Amino acid sequence: MAATYKPVLWNAHKRIYDTILIAGIVAYLAIFIAVGYATADSANTSLEILTISALGACAFFMLHIVLAIGPLARLSPKFLPLLYNRRHLGVALFVVAASHAIFGTIWYHGYGVINPIVSLFVSNPRYDAIGAFPFESLGVIALVILFLMAATSHDFWLNNLSPAVWKTLHMLIYPAYGSVVLHVLLGAASGHGGSPLYVWAVAAGFAIIVGLHITAGIAQSGRDAATRRNLDGDWIDAGTVADIPEKRARRITTPSGHQIAIFKYDGKVAAISNVCAHQMGPLAEGCIKDGLVTCPWHGWQYDPATGRSPAPYTEKVETFAVRVKDGRVFVAAKPNPKGAAATPAAIG
Amino acid sequence: MGNIESTAAALNLVALYAAAGVIFAILFLLFGITRIDNGAKGAGLGFRLLILPGLIALWPLMLIRWLSGGQPHG
Ligand code: HEM
Ligand code: FES
Repeated sequence: MAATYKPVLWNAHKRIYDTILIAGIVAYLAIFIAVGYATADSANTSLEILTISALGACAFFMLHIVLAIGPLARLSPKFLPLLYNRRHLGVALFVVAASHAIFGTIWYHGYGVINPIVSLFVSNPRYDAIGAFPFESLGVIALVILFLMAATSHDFWLNNLSPAVWKTLHMLIYPAYGSVVLHVLLGAASGHGGSPLYVWAVAAGFAIIVGLHITAGIAQSGRDAATRRNLDGDWIDAGTVADIPEKRARRITTPSGHQIAIFKYDGKVAAISNVCAHQMGPLAEGCIKDGLVTCPWHGWQYDPATGRSPAPYTEKVETFAVRVKDGRVFVAAKPNPKGAAATPAAIG
Repeated sequence: MGNIESTAAALNLVALYAAAGVIFAILFLLFGITRIDNGAKGAGLGFRLLILPGLIALWPLMLIRWLSGGQPHG
């Protein structure tokens, strides 16, 4: 779908989302600093340090949201709008984290005789002692990863980095999270950051993120097991028509590992491969726009009845035969060739 | 680590890599990008500025793509 690149593809939803995002960041920082100032024993709290803390805590909080969106969207389609807009969240996260890092570097390292960035790494060279570990180096690792993800979030990069590089970059969010956790805990251990509440907040956040990932994994494997039980000859019972929202899809995985997106639209159901021909985006998380399946990642489109992109494009994905009986959808376990027409089934 | 000279030297290498990236990015945005990606034809300055940081960081990958002529897509 070669359309000329725009800096940002704005629409009404994204404007609302971005407004909430920015207002949320400002409110978070303001409340954090105000509460910190009111409750601090004034002797060793300055506004500067509070600002550094507030920015760090805000970035850390946003990182949790970024990590929670994936499993939440797999658990309930209600969260899909967050998934589609996470690019702006990611860029905002980087900006907040970078502000934290810049203020932190200037405040603690900017007034000495050596270059502040060199000082960041050498001023506390005890990588063997937990209480005095240079926790800032761990922050640097996380910041570099957040930078790479933010810097490559434009569609241009999706089209021009290989899928393998793209995937690797995005999986790096987990090491980034690990580095930040250690950054915060070791920072606290060496007397930064103050309250022991912090350690508990970090532990709670960790438990939530791990719990969400495990829950989403269990839910998915439950659905896959149900699909296996529902195999009836060459047809899979894919559940009731009523459970598929209009113009959206249900995803199932066949026993042989094919992922199928089953769409309901205009009184019909049709099934095509879940895997987008562009960069393997999850078509089942997309929707029907103008009668075409639209990939949630970069908007490539396919006719649900043929698996073909509309002219002048020539991309194709596999189709699957479908039929509807007594309000239930049955889909063929074996795919048709890419771009082969499969008549959508009328909803009884 | 722990040694000012070696840390400074490592950071100088990083700076050198980024400086090479800046030179690459300018040449790439002027001459390369429209050859490897049709979507960039007619795209404006805003788009080019947005991808600039990524080009500076990942310039070896994009150099390889430029040299190999790019793959057609979409
Ligand atoms: C170059 C990178 C970084 C540097 C130099 C840096 C520096 C610092 C410093 C000096 C502190 C202690 C502040 C204090 O004395 O209270 C701190 C704490 C913290 N940092 Fe970072 N940081 C970096 C990256 C990050 C990143 C990427 C995140 C999160 C995404 C982050 C999150 C935090 C948090 C949550 C705290 C604890 C806040 C608190 O102390 O109240 N940092 N950082
Ligand atoms: S993965 Fe890019 S449009 Fe589907």
